[in-house]
Amino acid sequence: MIRIDFRSVILFSAFLRIFLIIYGEWQDTHMEVRYTDVDYLVFSDAAALVVSGVSPYKRSTYRYSPLIAYLLTPNSIIHRSWGKVLFSVSDLLVGFFIRSILKLQGVSDKICMYSVMVWLFNPFTFTIGTRGNCEPIICAMVLWIILCLMKGKLVQAAFWYGLVVHLRIYPIIYALPIVLALDPCYFQSGKKPVLRKWSSGAIKAALSSTTKNVSERVHKWGVILRLFTKERIQFGLLSGTIFFLFTAIFFYLYELEFLHEALLYHLTRTDPRHNFSIYFYHIYLHYEQEFSLPEKLVSFLPQVILQLVLIYRFRKDLPFCFFLQTVGFVAFNKVITAQYFVWFFCLLPLILPWSNMKLKRGLLCIFLWIGAQTHWLLWGYLLEFKGKQVFMYLWVASLLFLAVNTFVLVCVIIHHTCSPLFKPLEHVNRTKSTKYKQWRPG
Amino acid sequence: MFFLTDIGSCKHIPIFTERYISEPYFGKYSSLLDSDFQDFLAREVSLGLCEVFQNKVNSAPKLSIFNRRLIGEGSHRRLSTSIRFDKYQDSVSKLPDHYCEAIIVEKLPSGVFADPFELQDLLHRGVYMKASAFGDTNLELPSIHSNRSLVEIHMDIGSNALTGSKHGLEINIELPIHARYPPLGDCGYSRIQFGQPYLFTRCSVEGKSSNQNCIFMSTDSTAQALDNSIIVWEVPSGNKKHATTVSFFTFMSAILSALSIVLVSIRHSNFETDDNKQS
Repeated sequence: MIRIDFRSVILFSAFLRIFLIIYGEWQDTHMEVRYTDVDYLVFSDAAALVVSGVSPYKRSTYRYSPLIAYLLTPNSIIHRSWGKVLFSVSDLLVGFFIRSILKLQGVSDKICMYSVMVWLFNPFTFTIGTRGNCEPIICAMVLWIILCLMKGKLVQAAFWYGLVVHLRIYPIIYALPIVLALDPCYFQSGKKPVLRKWSSGAIKAALSSTTKNVSERVHKWGVILRLFTKERIQFGLLSGTIFFLFTAIFFYLYELEFLHEALLYHLTRTDPRHNFSIYFYHIYLHYEQEFSLPEKLVSFLPQVILQLVLIYRFRKDLPFCFFLQTVGFVAFNKVITAQYFVWFFCLLPLILPWSNMKLKRGLLCIFLWIGAQTHWLLWGYLLEFKGKQVFMYLWVASLLFLAVNTFVLVCVIIHHTCSPLFKPLEHVNRTKSTKYKQWRPG
Repeated sequence: MFFLTDIGSCKHIPIFTERYISEPYFGKYSSLLDSDFQDFLAREVSLGLCEVFQNKVNSAPKLSIFNRRLIGEGSHRRLSTSIRFDKYQDSVSKLPDHYCEAIIVEKLPSGVFADPFELQDLLHRGVYMKASAFGDTNLELPSIHSNRSLVEIHMDIGSNALTGSKHGLEINIELPIHARYPPLGDCGYSRIQFGQPYLFTRCSVEGKSSNQNCIFMSTDSTAQALDNSIIVWEVPSGNKKHATTVSFFTFMSAILSALSIVLVSIRHSNFETDDNKQS
C-alpha cells in the first residue's frame, strides 16, 4: 500500500489550487461562463476603489468588512489573481489547522491524514477558494480560535474571535459555547488546559455504554454558579472590544454606508429570490406586504431553539458543538447559498475521528445530501435558465433538502462519541470532587 | 422613412468628450416615464445638423432598426437590435472630415434591468465603445420595489461614415438583460413588453475654428414600420393561491425538523469520559 505523508498531500493540494487559478484565468478569457465567482469581481472592484481612495461601498453589492477590500488591494497593484492566491493559502492553512487540532487530541497519523484529505480534496472547498470566495479565510480563523483555546491562549482566541465576528457575523453563534467552555474546572489563565486524548478503543466502548454522566448533573448547577468567571469576562470583554473597535473605525471612515452594508444588511436580509432555504417562496409570496413581528419571530424560533439545545447538550465537545450549530444555523436560515456549506465543511474533519458511523451509512448520507442538492439545482436551473414556472417544485425541493439535512445531522449525532475537549484541571478536580461529596444529596 | 425631429444649433464640444445623452435625465426626474423622457429630449438635448453640414445636406443620416429580438431563455437574456445606417448619396457635395457614432437608448420596462458591472466588463472587452445604465440599477430588488432604468450604448461607425461607399452599414447590438422577480399573479407568468429604443447618430466635425458635435435623432415610429414584431418576455411569477399552503408547510417542516434534531440531541448526548468510568 502506498504511504502518503502530510507534506505530499499539502504539496499536491497546493499544485491543484495553482492549476485551478491558472485554469480560471484561461476560462474567464476564453469562455462565456466565467470560472471566477461573481463575489470576487465585487471584492476586486471594491479593492480598486480603496486604492483610488474611495469607499469600497461605492461598489454596489459589496457587503463585507472593508478589511476584505484592503486585503485585496494588491489585486489592482500586483495581479488580479492575488485574492485567489490568498484565499487558497487560507484554504491550505485550514488543512494545517485540522492536523494540528487532531494531533493535539492524540488522533493517530492515519486518521489525521484522512481527515485533512476530507477538507483538502473536497471538490466543493478547493473550487471555492480558487474561484475567489473569501470563506476559507473565515474557516481558517475559526479553526485557529479552537487551536488557541486548546493551547490555553485566551487573549489570542478572544482577539481572533472579535475579528472573525466583525468579518462575517455568523460565528457569533459560537460565543455561548466558547464562554461555557471556559469553565474554571477546565480552563484557567496561566494554566495549559488538559486535553482529552482520542483513542479508537474508547469509541468502540462507547457504543455499548449508556452510563449516565453523574458529574453532568453537578455541572447543570455549575453553569449558572460559575457563569461569571475571570476567564469568561476576559474573553467577552476582549473579543467585544475588538469587534466594536473595528466597527467604530470603519463607521468613522465610511459612516452609515458601512453599518448598513456590512452589518445591518446581513441581520435583516430576507431574500425573495430562489435559494436553498425553505423560506424563500414564503418570503416571495408575502414580499408585497410587511412581515409582522410574530411572523418574524416564528421563523426565527426553530433556529434559536435548536441553537440553544445543541449548545446545552454538546458544549463540552466544542468542535462537535460548533459543527452541529453551523449545520443547524445554515439549514434553518432564511437565505442559504452554496458558499455557506464551507462553514461546516471545515469543521467536519474535526469530528470524523469520533464517529463510529459505518462506511455504508456514511456514503448513504453523502449521496442523499448531494442528491437532494442536485434535485434542487435541477428545478433551480429550469426556473432560472429555462424560464419555467416551477416555484412550487423548487420549494418542495427545498423542503426535501431540509429533510435530508435533518436526517444527516441526526445520523451524525447518533453515531458520534461525545468526548469533552478538556479534561478537568487536576487540582481543581480534586477540590471540586471534595465539594461535590459535601453537596451531593443523599 | 426616417426624418429629422429637429434642426437646431450645434454644440461646440471637442470630439467625443461629451457625456451620455440620457445621463442628465435622472438629475431632473426621479423615475423613468416615457412622457418625461420625451419632454427631456425635446428640452434638454440639442438635436440637429451642424453649421458645416447645413449647406451640404438637407436631411439627417438615416438610422433604422431592421431586426429586434430576445435571445436566450430564462432570467438572463440578450436583447438584440440590428441597426442599418444609410449613407448619403454621391450627389451630396463633399462633407468635411467627420467621425460618427451610433447611439441607442434602450428604456427598459419595469421588471427588467441591465447589470452596470456587466456593461463595464463588455466595455473592457471592447464590445461597446461606451455603455452605461441609468436609473434603478439595484440588482437584487424584485419588480414591486424597483423603478425602471435605461441603458445608453454608443457604437463606433467610423470616420467619414456619412459618405463613402454606396452600401449602408449594419450594426448589431446585444444588450445583456436580467429579469427581476415579478409581482405575484394568478396565471404563473408575468408579461413584459419592450418598447422601441431611441436611435441617435452623433458626429464630430473638425472645423477651421473649432470642433463641432452634432446629434441626430431617428424617431421610433419609423423604426416600427420596419420591424413590427413586438417583443414580449414572459417571466415566471409566484402564484398567490400558493400562499397559505406554502406558509403552513414551511413552518411545519421547520418546526418538525428542529424538534427531531432536539429530541435526538437530548437522547444521544451522553458523554463517555474517564470521570464517568471512575464514578
